[in-house]
Amino acid sequence: MGKRLLVGLGALVSVFAATLILSHQSGAQQPVPGKTPAAKFDSSSMQGPRQPIFFRHDIHVGQIQMQCQYCHYSVGVSNEPGIPSMQTCMGCHFLYVTGRTPENKAEIKKLVAAWNAKKPVEWLRIHELARHVHFPHSRHIKALGPQACATCHGNIARMPQVYKVNNVNNMGFCITCHLERKVTRDCSTCHY
Amino acid sequence: MAGQTEADGVDRRQFLKVLGTVGGGAAVLSGCSTDRVAKLVPYMVQSEDQVPGIPTWYASTCAECSSGCGLHVKTREGRPIKLEGNPDHPINAGTLCSRGQAGLQALYNPDRLAGPMAKNAAGTWDAIKWDDAIARFAARVGAAHGELAVINGYGASTFSSLLTRWTSALGGFITNFEPFSREAERLANRKSWGRTDLPVYDFAAAKYIVSFGADYLETWGSVVEHQRGFAASHGFHDGGMSRAVFVGPRLSLTAANSDEWLNVPPGAEVLVALAMAQVIAAKHGHALAGSLSRYSPGKVARETGLTADQITTLATAFAAASPSLAVAGGVGAQHRGAIDLCQAVNTLNEVAGNLGRTVQFGSAPAASEGYGAIQPLFDRMAKGEFQVVLVHDANPLYTLPRSGKFAEAFAKVTFKVSTAAILDETAKACDLILPNLHGLERWDDLTPRAGITGMMQPVIEPVRGGLHTGDVLLKAAKAVGGAVAAFSAPSFEAYLKGEWQKTLNAADFDTAWREALGKGGMFSAAPAAEQPKTAAGSEVSYTTPVFDGNGDYIFMPYPSMQYHDGRGANKPWLLENPDPITKITWQSWVEIHPDTAEKLDVREGEIVELASPHGTLRVPVYVYAGVRPDTFAMPLGLGHTEYGRYAKDRGVNALDLLGAADGQGFLPYVATRVSLARTGDYRKVARVDGMPRQLGRGIIQSMPIAYAAKGMTPEQSYKAAGGSFPESNTELERTALEGWRERQLEQTRVGNYAADNMPKWGMAVDLSRCTGCSACVTACYAENNIPTVGEEQIFRRREMSWMRIERYWEGGTGGEPLQARFSPVMCQHCDNAPCEPVCPVYAAYHTPDGLNGQVYNRCVGTRYCSNNCPFKVRYFNWLKFNDTAWPEPLNLQLNPDVTTRARGVMEKCTFCIQRIRGVQNTARLEDRTVRDGEIVTACAQACPSGAIKFGNVKDPAAEVVQWKRDQRGYTMLEEANVRPSVTYLAKVLHVEPAAFHGSEER
Repeated sequence: MGKRLLVGLGALVSVFAATLILSHQSGAQQPVPGKTPAAKFDSSSMQGPRQPIFFRHDIHVGQIQMQCQYCHYSVGVSNEPGIPSMQTCMGCHFLYVTGRTPENKAEIKKLVAAWNAKKPVEWLRIHELARHVHFPHSRHIKALGPQACATCHGNIARMPQVYKVNNVNNMGFCITCHLERKVTRDCSTCHY
Repeated sequence: MAGQTEADGVDRRQFLKVLGTVGGGAAVLSGCSTDRVAKLVPYMVQSEDQVPGIPTWYASTCAECSSGCGLHVKTREGRPIKLEGNPDHPINAGTLCSRGQAGLQALYNPDRLAGPMAKNAAGTWDAIKWDDAIARFAARVGAAHGELAVINGYGASTFSSLLTRWTSALGGFITNFEPFSREAERLANRKSWGRTDLPVYDFAAAKYIVSFGADYLETWGSVVEHQRGFAASHGFHDGGMSRAVFVGPRLSLTAANSDEWLNVPPGAEVLVALAMAQVIAAKHGHALAGSLSRYSPGKVARETGLTADQITTLATAFAAASPSLAVAGGVGAQHRGAIDLCQAVNTLNEVAGNLGRTVQFGSAPAASEGYGAIQPLFDRMAKGEFQVVLVHDANPLYTLPRSGKFAEAFAKVTFKVSTAAILDETAKACDLILPNLHGLERWDDLTPRAGITGMMQPVIEPVRGGLHTGDVLLKAAKAVGGAVAAFSAPSFEAYLKGEWQKTLNAADFDTAWREALGKGGMFSAAPAAEQPKTAAGSEVSYTTPVFDGNGDYIFMPYPSMQYHDGRGANKPWLLENPDPITKITWQSWVEIHPDTAEKLDVREGEIVELASPHGTLRVPVYVYAGVRPDTFAMPLGLGHTEYGRYAKDRGVNALDLLGAADGQGFLPYVATRVSLARTGDYRKVARVDGMPRQLGRGIIQSMPIAYAAKGMTPEQSYKAAGGSFPESNTELERTALEGWRERQLEQTRVGNYAADNMPKWGMAVDLSRCTGCSACVTACYAENNIPTVGEEQIFRRREMSWMRIERYWEGGTGGEPLQARFSPVMCQHCDNAPCEPVCPVYAAYHTPDGLNGQVYNRCVGTRYCSNNCPFKVRYFNWLKFNDTAWPEPLNLQLNPDVTTRARGVMEKCTFCIQRIRGVQNTARLEDRTVRDGEIVTACAQACPSGAIKFGNVKDPAAEVVQWKRDQRGYTMLEEANVRPSVTYLAKVLHVEPAAFHGSEER
């Protein structure tokens, strides 16, 4: 799109970013080099961006079989799925769960360190919808059920490091599904 | 849990400690909120959690003026994005005026000070730390030994009582200053009834309203409450409506909404009031009849420019319509005879039997002091009686006339302190600035009148480095020691709670406190109305007011609806929202009658020099038939020399022409004669209106009340009055349109979006309720991220007001009275929309639910749609307005649910589609259909008159359908066959059918 329609929204702290951080600053999601201790397990060869903490969706969702909504708590009620707070992580990790392998222990230590320093972990965003699109997560969960996340996000349970399976900014991806299911194709459903 | 292994050095205690400091579960969950936010009590959403994507609402109180309207603050992810009225609040009942809504731009104003500042020897500012600032303040206050003056502009509240007690503990002197403080009314009430409190006026109950220069819909008193009352009585309902008359030299917005404007010279209003009282008293044999006999209509008619018959008729009708209501005391009638005028109106209300009915004493609006109190204080400053002065929430060096040498007197004080959050004129003259927090950032309360106390709670972390002045006082008290050290509360929040604990007196204070916060305050029933006793010797007298100078014209400054006493001048929403009468934005003007303009050979935009004995100023002319030929009128509020980037050096300050010395106890605003000199310079006036007349296009239609009561349609009414009514749809056109919308829907029908199940959104606007106040316009700007474009772009007609108030003039020639017609005009969402077929990229298209959709990301900016729109409600984003309109941190006000549009895109009203979709999503989640009234557009929500109704027109039970069925309904430009979704209900006029021509409308 030649037009820079959606500029100026840098102003609008994106909801994802806003939920990630406690402070008023936004944007800088790249951890400061040197300050972040190097992960013992180098995930950089895997698909998807390397996160400040090598959070294992495959363990949490695949092995432990946690529900997506346990962490992405507002996905069923709001446009925004929500990012788990640090407290949610620490709810399990502060006493009991310290990891089995040295690699995992090292990653969990990073989490605990961040908690103690009162610095939220600045995750890298994988899926970012263009700002002229309004995607109500809740309605899709309502229509397709709580297991429907995979429809767009792929099989997260098998992803040690999350990567983008579908380009959610490709409108054809949306429309294909809407055509198949014979639901609205009205522009103003999403664009306003 | 004992004996559990501790993971990586975090023990349970530390876990809880971290939790506590970060603020508890809610705060951590909500991400960007902080401990302050987490402790708040949400009102709408019962859960304390802030759920991303879902707004959290907090109740608060508006501090933009002393009316004390209740607020509901919409916050998203921890930042307020819109201010709406609190539906439970007895004053504003869910609505809010433009100035109140623009409070958000005071919160996020880019010119807010980053922290305390001290003036150094060179006269420039040093940024200092708060501890240092408070230490300096305390040292000076402690060493002043009672030579301390405090000017407090904040209304009656726990804070103000703390400040009063703090000042008296230090042996200082305090004035509760408000520029428009209605002193003349208080002084008149003392003369009439021996009491200085003000009554509350019940406009809703009044069947006949006469205002003597009081702009009750604009700036006089509690305007939102007045507007609600006015709409209730003067809006056409059950076949009738009240009648309103305005007596004064200028056709203000209030006058324009009245049924009759009696154009009386400044100073002669009192004679009309006295003559009316005389007629009524004589008829009823009232005790005052004797003393009033000197003022019979026959005796005073000549001076008022009215006929004796006119006054007698008015008085008779006024007395017959019981209860009626007469009000006086606006700034525009504040000449040297203002006390006489207010007293005469008191008498009028008394003889008409309105006391205790529409004029209710007993729940007095909080008393403030004005010029009568501040002038002696400055005299004392000039004599060097004060070492320290503290100015809080006031800007006296701007709001007092320059000729009074107040700045010079102020400079005589050794150490001057201001708590202004933005460097204003007074702060600039100070030595220390301790910026206060905004009302949305602090704990506070406000008691606009007995029985109503609104609460404020911080809904956001301080945007800039301010500190609550209450905290400053408490900390300084501790540092000073002595008597003032009795204020031992650790913080103002604790002090406030402590004081409330005394008043609430509840067994469970915490619950009662949280309830009050959630509700927005404590609203007890108003105290029983007291019947004032006529004071002995309340003989009405009258002296002709004198005017300074010997110029040919009386100078009449009046408070601007948008800027009030000048405090609104730094908010772009208010600067861009045009004055409802003149439609001028971003600058000052002087109003001159067309005959006078012709005589003086001046034209619109010509800069003239006005000279009074007290000063001169140069200002562009606006030729206006609604001002007397012997009077020049000019709005107050602009002409700041400081006060941030938006206000500084914009326009001129009308106070520069006024005198200051006066011993009457108030500032007579209308007390100067001026002369005019042409300068030959020219400055374009940034007006946003187009053609001032309707030229028979029937855009804003009206009908006589007799026809409306008979249930006639506007068309029948025009025909009955002998007007022509163009044949709107020819047979051919009708055939062409047959089934058009159905075919459109057929084409868009996909899957379960079957057209039959789809709602069709529509709107109805009752023009007999709309006053043109423009609150809806500000609401639209706030809701839809509409950029303000500035004066330069308005010259080029590039304003982006998706919703505008059209103002057309009627009459004014050939002996017919000059009348205004107001109507909000937003996208009409035509069924047969001309904008849609011309779009080459399908950006403008018809949605299945009946909207004229506009897909911003498709738009390539051909502007064909705008060219084809008969209503001109499509606005093209010519420049990078979204880069310039919201300098940080103003950008924080943006609504995340609405796309901000870039350059080269056509924008328009969407019936607040984000609200429609939001409610539809919620309804779907709850497995139900959308309820009627659940979707409220921003304009309908804000409207103090309740003139706008929105809903699904396919639902026969919907309120909007009831409105649309009203016989007064019509659609704009019906002959264009565009089939709008907006129905207007014709304005109803108090006019005899025989006198109704409607020739200009139709």
